[in-house]
Amino acid sequence: MKYIIRLTIIAALVSVFVFSSFAQEQMTKEAWQNQITEMTTKRNDLKNQFAGLQKEVSDLQKQDAEKTQALKQCQEDLTSGQQEAPFVANLDAIDARLNELSRLSNQDLLARKAEVDSVQNWINEAEKNPLSAIQKYQDRIKDQQNRLDALKKTIADIEGQATPTYTVGTWAKDRDCLWNIAKKPKIYDNAFLWPKIWQGNRDQIKNPDVIHQGQKLKIPAKDALTKEEKSAVRKYWSKKNAQVPAEKP
Amino acid sequence: MKKPFALILIGSAMVAGSFVGCSSKPSEEELKQLNDLKAEVTSLEKGIAAQQSEKAALLKSIAEKDAQLTQCTKDKETLQQRLKGVQ
Repeated sequence: MKYIIRLTIIAALVSVFVFSSFAQEQMTKEAWQNQITEMTTKRNDLKNQFAGLQKEVSDLQKQDAEKTQALKQCQEDLTSGQQEAPFVANLDAIDARLNELSRLSNQDLLARKAEVDSVQNWINEAEKNPLSAIQKYQDRIKDQQNRLDALKKTIADIEGQATPTYTVGTWAKDRDCLWNIAKKPKIYDNAFLWPKIWQGNRDQIKNPDVIHQGQKLKIPAKDALTKEEKSAVRKYWSKKNAQVPAEKP
Repeated sequence: MKKPFALILIGSAMVAGSFVGCSSKPSEEELKQLNDLKAEVTSLEKGIAAQQSEKAALLKSIAEKDAQLTQCTKDKETLQQRLKGVQ
């Protein structure tokens, strides 16, 4: 009997626990009402927010369209009356030539050095065009100039490596003049080739009679004098003869 | 002595159980109403997020066009000055 009573008590407690747990999972009317109120308030707030945003977006879309129109107009005004197409074609041609020169080997680039100079002239011409005041063209020309400068530097480096140099000593000790330098066995072993050194260093020798200690002279490859070099020598001697009797340079 | 105690325990448990089990619950229709409301709120939240994203994109686009317009106006002025210099 005792066992029956104990079992009954335990069974009753378990069933009450299970039943009450199940009942707690079900929503009560009160909780439903609370949630309905909360959700309705939230929905109304969100609706207002949504409507406000829609209006803002609509206004911004109008503004954006106006700006697009204004920009289009400004760009049309900017190029009206200007020969934009030929100008752009010139810039394209510069780009094409720079691309071509950039792909060359060092040796080929050195051989086409004159083209680098002509590209510089094209860039100079482009800069003179009024359209180059427009920022996008200004940037493009600047970029082209940078690329050309890089090519020039490469050429200068190659020339620096390829051409041997001679540093001028003193007259008292070394007897250095163009004639004597050219006569040196290590240079040309031929004094008559002195105009080669003169013409190869026109940037630093204005008067072949005057060279200074410490000057670093480029020594062009040994070869017969070119037309230009011979012409320069003739001019030098005729000028010299007109002034004083001939003497060594 | 033990019997009354057991009877009281069982009785109180049954009363408690009936109390919990008999509280009022929302009907199916009311639950559907609540679910619809929740769905509407979720949809509005998504809509707001989309509008905010569009607003940000438009603001960026307008700022970019403003900058381009300023540059264009500046270019126009420089061009005019250059043309005056050329003439």
